[in-house]
Amino acid sequence: MSIRNRAAIAGVGQTEFSKDSGRSTLRMALEAILEALDDAGLRPEDVDSIVKMSANDDIYEIDLLRNLNLRNLRYFNEVPHGGGAACGTIASAVAAVTSGMADVVVTFRSLNERSERRFGETTVGGGVGHWRQYYFPHGLVTPAQWVAIHGQRYLHAYGATTEDLGRVSVLLRKHAATNPHAMMYARPITLEDHQNSRWIAEPLRLLDCCLDTDGACAVIVTSAEKAKTLKGVPAYITAATQGTGSRAEMMTSYQRADLGRLEESEAAARELWRVAEMRPEDMDVIQIYDPFTPMVLLQLEAYGFAKPGGAPALFRDGSLELGGRWPMNTHGGHLGDGYLHGFSHIVEGVRQLRGTAVNQVINPKTCLVTSGVGVPTSAIVLSKEAS
Amino acid sequence: MSEGVPLPYPARDRDTTPFWEAQDRHELCFQRCAQCGHVRYPVGPLCPECRSFDFEWSQSSGKGVIYSYTVVRHQTHPAFPAPYTVLLVELEEGPRLIAQLRAPEGAAFGVGTRVSIAWEDHPKQALPVFAIDGAAP
Ligand SMILES: [Zn+2]
Repeated sequence: MSIRNRAAIAGVGQTEFSKDSGRSTLRMALEAILEALDDAGLRPEDVDSIVKMSANDDIYEIDLLRNLNLRNLRYFNEVPHGGGAACGTIASAVAAVTSGMADVVVTFRSLNERSERRFGETTVGGGVGHWRQYYFPHGLVTPAQWVAIHGQRYLHAYGATTEDLGRVSVLLRKHAATNPHAMMYARPITLEDHQNSRWIAEPLRLLDCCLDTDGACAVIVTSAEKAKTLKGVPAYITAATQGTGSRAEMMTSYQRADLGRLEESEAAARELWRVAEMRPEDMDVIQIYDPFTPMVLLQLEAYGFAKPGGAPALFRDGSLELGGRWPMNTHGGHLGDGYLHGFSHIVEGVRQLRGTAVNQVINPKTCLVTSGVGVPTSAIVLSKEAS
Repeated sequence: MSEGVPLPYPARDRDTTPFWEAQDRHELCFQRCAQCGHVRYPVGPLCPECRSFDFEWSQSSGKGVIYSYTVVRHQTHPAFPAPYTVLLVELEEGPRLIAQLRAPEGAAFGVGTRVSIAWEDHPKQALPVFAIDGAAP
């Protein structure tokens, strides 16, 4: 039996994003969860399931249970692989809700990534295990550096330039500039600003990289049937999937046939379009995981919005602007709004379908949301109507 | 490399120890499947092509071409003062290896440049680097 439109996002919540939240990740998670429950018209007592992302997080479901004074969680788990897990928590929630194992699922992400613990920060001293033993001793130690290897290959394969990367950044900052929630509110950049920003790891400059962020988001998933009866306007989950590729590692996977492609995202795309019974052409708005600019180009191609090597043209012809064919990352994404490991993209997708987004697109009915890339990934399609 | 700050070193395990021991002898060795001949990397117990556990260690020529690279200009680790160049080299035997470039300042290189292996000793682990073919290291 297909999961198509049988579950829905009934509520969303979000704290402010900043460089220093001044409070614990647990407190922010609770604030976002209470806001999301209130948005849905549910009470904490209605929650019987929590699904979380596992990486770089020390909040356990029992911490939430104690603070919310819950008793029994019928279903809980956590999804690995960093930002690749964001829509994966939704996929897991859908599985739980459509199988009857859970009724109201809380998913969330809460980070003090700027003020406390930076994601991808390298430890000094000691031995390095797993696949990282092949990279760390050679000085390849951060996500930006791992992604730079993919980015350079992409530029070489398709004759793209760092200006093509810059246009991604310019678009994201343009959308953030009119979003008061965004860390880069009222701070648009030009292509020249991008080209003048300092190198991090060639071909990546500072303005190709996401923003270390403090903040939290929460999303409530329940059955489509129940969602219809609640206060919150539902966003139906038309498809949800995880995906992997060959020779998989976390952000390296350098033995793959072609590093100018994203196998995980291609796999997720195939499953997503099959389950949704839709195609890229059917999307009215898209929220693409954007840790570093090359990964946006690679995903647009993997999900079928452009042919291989064709994504840069979408940034030159206006396709991804608010008035374009596929308005992208309408909140400003990880480079403009803030880096919540893909969760703010889900929140923004719901708001667009409800018609309550700050940079509102005209009457969108469908939204693609993707999660972390170059890692085992995940993605969802949301719809305004369950048809 | 920075004096005094130790490099991150591989935490050897029961699969990878022979790979790293070979590097301490300045040999780059890959597992070659005894059944189908497939050369695999990273190190693993099973041949992904034919699923045989049987293999032998075979030494790489250390010659290859640059498949991709990055010039790291923002320092993130005290053992690696920027700038430095990290290559992804596609070796003649097939696997792609990450290692640093050793070349004179301003040396021309890019995707497709032919390179050969050289070795550097460190307290915990000898490591390969690559030099551009036909250029003085
Ligand atoms: Zn074999």
